Amino acid sequence: MHITSSPIYLDHAATTPVRPEVAEAMSASLAEDFGNPSSGHAWGRRARRRLETARASVAASMGVAPERVFFTRGGTESDNLAVLGRLRHDLAEGVTPHVVTSAVEHPAVLEAAERGVLEGGRHTVIGFREGAFDLDALEQVLRDDRPGLVSCMWVNNETGLVLPIAEVGALCRRYGVPLHSDAVQAVGKLPVDWARAPADLLTITGHKIYGPKGTGALIARDFHALRPLHFGGGQERGLRPGTEDVAGASGLAEAVRLAVAEAPAESARLGSLRDEVEAGLLAGIPGARVNAGTVQRAAHILSLGIPGADSDTLLAALDASGIAVSGGSACASGSSAPSGTLAALYPGDTAAALRLSFGRLNRRRDAATVVRAVAEAVERTLALVSP
Amino acid sequence: MNTPAGRLRILVAMSGGVDSSVAAAMLVEAGHDVVGATMKTFCYSGEAAESRKTCCGLEGIRDARTVADRLGIPHYVFDVEDEFTRDVIDDFVAEYGRGRTPNPCVSCNSNTKFRDLMRRGRVLGCDGVASGHYARLDRGAGEPRLLRGRDSSKDQSYFLWGLPGALLDLLHFPLGDLTKSEVRSRARRLGLATADKPESQEICFVPTGDYRDLLAKRLLPTHPALLPGAIVDTDGRIVGRHNGYSGFTVGQRKGIGGGRSERYHVLEIRPEAREVVVGPRHLLEVGGVVVGGLNWLTEPPEPDRRLHVQVRYRSPALACTVAGSGGDGIELRFDEPARAVTPGQSSVFFDGDRVVGGGRIERVTDTPY
Repeated sequence: MHITSSPIYLDHAATTPVRPEVAEAMSASLAEDFGNPSSGHAWGRRARRRLETARASVAASMGVAPERVFFTRGGTESDNLAVLGRLRHDLAEGVTPHVVTSAVEHPAVLEAAERGVLEGGRHTVIGFREGAFDLDALEQVLRDDRPGLVSCMWVNNETGLVLPIAEVGALCRRYGVPLHSDAVQAVGKLPVDWARAPADLLTITGHKIYGPKGTGALIARDFHALRPLHFGGGQERGLRPGTEDVAGASGLAEAVRLAVAEAPAESARLGSLRDEVEAGLLAGIPGARVNAGTVQRAAHILSLGIPGADSDTLLAALDASGIAVSGGSACASGSSAPSGTLAALYPGDTAAALRLSFGRLNRRRDAATVVRAVAEAVERTLALVSP
Repeated sequence: MNTPAGRLRILVAMSGGVDSSVAAAMLVEAGHDVVGATMKTFCYSGEAAESRKTCCGLEGIRDARTVADRLGIPHYVFDVEDEFTRDVIDDFVAEYGRGRTPNPCVSCNSNTKFRDLMRRGRVLGCDGVASGHYARLDRGAGEPRLLRGRDSSKDQSYFLWGLPGALLDLLHFPLGDLTKSEVRSRARRLGLATADKPESQEICFVPTGDYRDLLAKRLLPTHPALLPGAIVDTDGRIVGRHNGYSGFTVGQRKGIGGGRSERYHVLEIRPEAREVVVGPRHLLEVGGVVVGGLNWLTEPPEPDRRLHVQVRYRSPALACTVAGSGGDGIELRFDEPARAVTPGQSSVFFDGDRVVGGGRIERVTDTPY
């Protein structure tokens, strides 16, 4: 078996290492400002100042006013808050809640919407037609039902697929329906002018962009249209009570600032690395295809479909040879679960999914090593395990 | 320990239970390059709460991962659902459908746990596969010999007769020389989370604990095994009714009605007539058995050869003589009459402590009625 000389991390879509600038911002906060931002004394004031500085920084990076930035404990929480918070708001207003999502949303959106169904709401899923997001179906629901929220992610985490957010946003505006977008795989990965984002609610998180785990934000145009999911304090204007993680907010602010600033150059760099790996793997693995290969994709994710391969074995073999990648999506058992995204894009298809996601730990010179190791692992897997 | 000299890369089947956890730990201590693996044998969705009690459920996967992390070894989950369904669950259901009583753990050991896991292990560059079975492999001279575990109260060699002979050389049973209490104290000494986990008694793919729920799910409702029928005595007199012969096994007392001076047992299931035959205990004793689906770990024995045969788990091996063999079957004659010999159960042949082969009980011979 080929074992790479040093392990190569190709799972940046799962998480990323904290970059030095972020660690520095966080340790300064931890060391100097331990106060509770809600306290009225000097320690509280200092902590509050740092928290609000972080909020202003995130706001500036995202092109919004600071009062639109609500710190949360990460992407899942922001997604839950957008979907269930909206749903419970509508329920409280006596409106039948109705959330429309794409079929390829993160489980934090899909399962929140399903939870909403248990609480008396509706959930409509918009799928794909010939590989493209079904805008006609979306428009029909918007026109006929005037739902309370549309949730459509910016970049799909499994395939890198970029959803047609401008078109979705225009439709939502036309019918007066608020739009939430999970942008955790878009911030810092796509060169976007966030001030012009067509979404009313945006989910961002720190750990996908070299920031801390457990810190994210929901950027909300109208927080009155949401109900909190947590109770017990007035923090984040009551939308996310609980003593604030000031160091986390400082780290998130620095991570977002750098990610947004560097996105144009970094996405171009990763795009050429991705293209080289992609070309090598398509040449080296007979029958392989690029998932969502015919539509616009973010540069940092390459999802391959490999017919006839056993996904669990392939991932284990790659781990054994020092390459960290992921499969379709991890199920609770740790085995690869059938992916909702791939099922929506390729109904009935059983090809094993292999997701390589690139980032700051990767260099162009790694491409050849990656291609060789992946192609070899696929060959071994196909030869010895046919499911 | 039964490992050849030299450092090997070994895949250990880890269920999350104490036995396989200690097996993995012992291989690590012996200096091997150990990789943990848990098989995902069926879909756990919606069964997380139910399957908590069995060793192979979601909880087991988490426990196995915790132990592997503690030992500092990688741990992978392999989805073997297709193979397991085909080789174990379908077979289990079909056997009950035919009025027989299967040993699903034997089917799993004969197919999934070692063969299918080893195929995956090879992709990871492994030289062998290990498990927490209480059995031994003697690699002293020539071909490896599969032996009973040293702890006779835990010995699990009964479940291993179906191992493909070619695999024996690749297997490792680190617990073979230990007793259960030694295993538990090792687990405690190693600080393993699973040290005091209760024994799993249930069938891992029957989370409700009642296999009839599974049969009802997987057999058509019109399958004879699920239809009512007669309970008859050895003279053919109807003495009661039953709700499907698949709920019975030879020797069983439950579900056949009482009110007799002597306790009755199930003697036989006649699927073609949907009859369950019952009678007093002494009628359970039979003189011989025909065993099919054979697997030999040595040269097949000649007629008149003396052997010992174990006809169910945790029962003593009985002295017998090979009365005849042919094709896929062998007929054995017991020295003393044997009780509750059940079609579908494994018959395992021993020469002293050595497993020489085994098969499934097809039918009994020389019945007293």
